[in-house]
Amino acid sequence: MKRRLVFVVAWLVIADLFVPPVLQRAEHARYESGTAFRFDNSDLFALGPMVRYLREHPRGDRRRVLFLGNSVIFGYGIDARDAIPARYEKRAGNARVFNAAINGQEMGDSYLIAKSVIDSVDALYVQLIAGQGARPILGKLIPVDDADAQRFHLERSNRVEAMLQSQLGRVWRLYGNSDRLQAAFFGTSTRQSLYLHKRELLFGRHPQPETPVHPQPPVPLFAPRSASGDQASLPPILRDLGELAVSHHKRIILIDVQHLAPAAAANFNAAYAPYAEIVIPEIPPALQYDRLHFTPDGADAVAATLLAHEAAQ
Amino acid sequence: MIFTELRFIVIFILMAITFFAVPRHRRAMTLAVWGIVFYATFAGAWIGLVLVLTLLALFAAAPIAGMVIVGVLIAVKAMPQIVVPLGISYLAFELLHVVIERRRGKIARPPLCDLLAFAFFAPARIAGPIKRLPPFLASIQEAELSAENIWRGLLRILFGFAKKYLLADVLALTVAESSYVSSMKHAWTIVLAFALQLFFDFSAYSDIAIGFARILGIRLPENFNWPYLAANIREFWERWHITLSHWVRDYIFTPAGRALFRTRLRPYPAVIATISYLVTFAIVGAWHGLSAGFILWGVYHGLLLAAYNVIRMKVPRLSDAPWYRALAIATTFLFVTIGWVPFFLPLDKAIHMWALMFGAAR
Repeated sequence: MKRRLVFVVAWLVIADLFVPPVLQRAEHARYESGTAFRFDNSDLFALGPMVRYLREHPRGDRRRVLFLGNSVIFGYGIDARDAIPARYEKRAGNARVFNAAINGQEMGDSYLIAKSVIDSVDALYVQLIAGQGARPILGKLIPVDDADAQRFHLERSNRVEAMLQSQLGRVWRLYGNSDRLQAAFFGTSTRQSLYLHKRELLFGRHPQPETPVHPQPPVPLFAPRSASGDQASLPPILRDLGELAVSHHKRIILIDVQHLAPAAAANFNAAYAPYAEIVIPEIPPALQYDRLHFTPDGADAVAATLLAHEAAQ
Repeated sequence: MIFTELRFIVIFILMAITFFAVPRHRRAMTLAVWGIVFYATFAGAWIGLVLVLTLLALFAAAPIAGMVIVGVLIAVKAMPQIVVPLGISYLAFELLHVVIERRRGKIARPPLCDLLAFAFFAPARIAGPIKRLPPFLASIQEAELSAENIWRGLLRILFGFAKKYLLADVLALTVAESSYVSSMKHAWTIVLAFALQLFFDFSAYSDIAIGFARILGIRLPENFNWPYLAANIREFWERWHITLSHWVRDYIFTPAGRALFRTRLRPYPAVIATISYLVTFAIVGAWHGLSAGFILWGVYHGLLLAAYNVIRMKVPRLSDAPWYRALAIATTFLFVTIGWVPFFLPLDKAIHMWALMFGAAR
């Protein structure tokens, strides 16, 4: 028994030596390759590892674009390769696009995620959503300051537990990087991956071939402009996003697919353009499969429109 | 999961070091001190309530101590707005065991340290198993630091984590599909997934608790023994949550049966057994949670056991053929699985799920 215990400890020590190079290669493949990036099954697990990677690698191989939003941006009901961010990436050609949208996400979530990675991305597209809140769990997943934690009623990790985890993670790298390794290998947690691929694992079914991009005429885009620039009349979360873009000299485009803020858009654009803008795509119902979500062709048309708007800027 | 929290691991390591460093007669005190530290860390202010209950079990008259423990258990379970104190259901049954056995004169009043070590034993305080005082105290004295105990304990913990994270938690994602269940096949898939998830999840907690105790050289009672291979419902309860089954057998079912035997029902043993099963399993349901779904689940099992008892009275000898046993296992599993529905769904959704499973709804 003593020999077995010694063997296991020795095996763990040796395995730990390989963690940094394995993690580096796996994360590079996950975050810098051309594969459509999306949180599998719209699960939050991979958000923390993605944020940590972006913060540790502020410059990527290509220009970085981050999309935030709810199921509309996530691409609910369609393949990851057919969602707006993936179609944008395909059309842009020279950008690495991260689809960090999660079903049910609200503006508070988008703001906190944007704030945590803004220095590591070149542009952000944030879907305008009526809900202003944030998921409480976000306080445990990504770096947030105390003021934001209080403002959005976020959960915080137990300080002693967090300190112990941090200390052990430095010594035992397999433990400290287990979530990053899972996210890098599977795109989500091991359990989500097993759940999502259970049929392939049990019956050997393979994924569907990639859907081709059908060229669509750009959807008309409404980018309101006026000279008033009255910041005080804007909702606080919009002001925060505008200030974030200005203070970091980054572009944040707010996509108002539901036409939630046509009145505020003019003020916002006047106050924060060219750093932050609200754009309102006019979407033909034929390109949506319900009143909210896009078909692959609809997503492609929105992506083409956003790129056209970017080019015009 | 508390078992994976580093605060628990640190407390456990310190507990293990001091447990083996002190003389044997001080071991119970060591477990008591670290158990209280553990409980205060994870349950906060509830430590006061649990200490009071433990002291009551030791010093108060049995009827008073019993009533207070049962009353507190009902009160905390009846208030959905509060977070139930960590492991209170298990603790209440362990303390009631002490109170009842002392009343029966089968155990002497234990020293305070021994009872605190028993009540606050960290590995078993989270989700059982439900211990008994005499074997636990004997195990403390006999415990040895050995590579075999450490190896077997670690393996058991690893086995438990694998069950929890690779099986139970993956199956839980299928169970979560119950919010949009729409077809008979989907309904059966979800209910089957829940049956397996619950077993893997709950038995994983028991495995981990038994594993941690084993590292200390302390043997905790086994809680599961391949329950879904039971060939009848009575055998199922001898294999599922064994420590709870034994507890309710000793302290509810048997006393209830004896009490009824002294009434006018004496000539009707089947009626006595049926009433005893129904009362016992209604309480088992309520012990899991004071909701209509849990109590319905308990009564359902009480009825199954009563029905099985009647069948066995009419047909004392059943076939020993392998095909018969296979059929009996499948039938038992089917009945148990159908019964899990109100255990994991609110009553209205459970009825809808049953309707879908049996083709009565779309």
